[in-house]
Amino acid sequence: MSFLQIVEGPLFIFAAAVFVLGALWRLIGIIRIGRKKDISPPKASAAAGFIRGNLRHFIPRGIFAKRTMVHIVGGYGFHLGLFALIFFGAYHIDFLNERILGVSWPAMPRWAFLMVSGVAFSGLIMLWVRRISDPVMRLISSKDDHIGSWLTFLVMLSGCFALEQAHDSLRATHMLLVDIWLVYFPFSRLMHGFTFVLSRGNSGATYGRKGIDL
Amino acid sequence: MQNQFHSLRNFLRLSVLMLMLAAFAAPVAAQSVRPPGNAVNLDDGIEEGPSNALGDLSDTEIWDNFRGGNPRDIFAPAPEGQVMTTTGQQWRMIREKFIRKYLGWAPLIVIGLLAVFYFAKGPMKISAGRSGKTIPRFTLSARVAHWFMAAVFIILGLSGMIILLGRVVIAPYFGLEFNSVLTSAAMQGHNLFGPVFIFALIWLFIKFIRGNFFQWVDLKWISKLGGFFGGHVSSGQFNFGEKSWFWMVIIVGSVISVTGVIMLFPGLVDDIRWLQLSTILHALGAVGLIAVAFGHIYVGTIGMEGSLDSMLKGEVDENWAKEHHDLWYEEMTGKSASETKAPEETP
Repeated sequence: MSFLQIVEGPLFIFAAAVFVLGALWRLIGIIRIGRKKDISPPKASAAAGFIRGNLRHFIPRGIFAKRTMVHIVGGYGFHLGLFALIFFGAYHIDFLNERILGVSWPAMPRWAFLMVSGVAFSGLIMLWVRRISDPVMRLISSKDDHIGSWLTFLVMLSGCFALEQAHDSLRATHMLLVDIWLVYFPFSRLMHGFTFVLSRGNSGATYGRKGIDL
Repeated sequence: MQNQFHSLRNFLRLSVLMLMLAAFAAPVAAQSVRPPGNAVNLDDGIEEGPSNALGDLSDTEIWDNFRGGNPRDIFAPAPEGQVMTTTGQQWRMIREKFIRKYLGWAPLIVIGLLAVFYFAKGPMKISAGRSGKTIPRFTLSARVAHWFMAAVFIILGLSGMIILLGRVVIAPYFGLEFNSVLTSAAMQGHNLFGPVFIFALIWLFIKFIRGNFFQWVDLKWISKLGGFFGGHVSSGQFNFGEKSWFWMVIIVGSVISVTGVIMLFPGLVDDIRWLQLSTILHALGAVGLIAVAFGHIYVGTIGMEGSLDSMLKGEVDENWAKEHHDLWYEEMTGKSASETKAPEETP
């Protein structure tokens, strides 16, 4: 069995299992903590507040938008770009179709893939550069944040290096980094990819129950 | 579709070349054919064999016809039906005998000169010491724009050098296979980050254009060689060296961007000479920027005390500002820069 077969086969399955089980364990753990009972009479629906809180946070607040423009542009560029790369990149669709899902869907054309990659890379670099440039961000950032950013960057970079599909070693490097990323994800701040729903929802529900319009 | 069209056009060109070669070769070949023994000379009114079998053209003229136009004028429009591109050979010679052979030395020479300067003169210290008070120099968004460009520049610089010099620098020591893998990766990375560089360049231009126009005071800076060899030099927010670096990045960066786009999308131009010119300009511009960037990095880090603060923290020490950017200090604070404050005593 070649190194490529290992990182795409048993190691990938192991990493994917850790990712799924680890993420579920973390999410269930957070939900099980529960919320402190609010004995005051509700003025509005907490459930509606949960949904509204999630949706409202997608739109930047007017007074903060200008000050956090780099964060907003970088954040949206990176996350939307990464989503498009993972789920609409031709190689990824082939991989998901052959190894996991058994279904396929239309892929982005190559030029769009390159453009989206540029946007995603720009976003990620902007976010990390802001993290080290802004004194407040620098202060609240831990090793975990930097490792998560760099690991994600290396996964993307190695994927871009392997685009020509001419060398197995490049593809194997990309897959090895993907495996490491999948294992690291549930136990790091990368979990914000899932937990953001709960944290936004919690704030939304709390304010929603009090009848505060977000 | 376009590739097919190009292939068809190349095939037609090759066919024309073959036909022309056959046409020129036929009379020559005829001379070496002996008539069979039973051949009969017919009285066709021609007393001798066909005259002028070699034609009136010399070999040089024949090849000139193949090439079409003047091979020494690379900017002359390509003649209709031209079957040979002479500039391809010239381009190859420039690339192999000059760019690949010597260009890689430029950054190394700059690093060597900086090392000599550093060990001979040492870093430029703040002569009055740090005051302990700071003034804001760059906003957060300006710093992010700068570091964003720096990150993209490093990725493109490294990958570009591998593409350009891998065969002469990496392959002999690490093998062709290793160089092939590395070059393939570098090529993909370079192509992908190229458009990001254009975005970074525009962002940098918008963020730093203010304060980077040349002024009369810059002449004083030039006359005193920037104060690197002693003496005080006045300057505004940016000195002549910084302004020159800014405009070099913008102008050379634009050339690199345009030539890069042409190479990334060769279908944009219909004359191969644009591609040849693009590869040369791209390499020259990029290596030039990389070489000068080392000077920028030197002054911004170990070469000058206190300068890195401006891009890391966004603030600089007041004494640093008075010493290196006195006019800007006066503009910012409304105070005279000549009143140098003694360094604060540290407990």
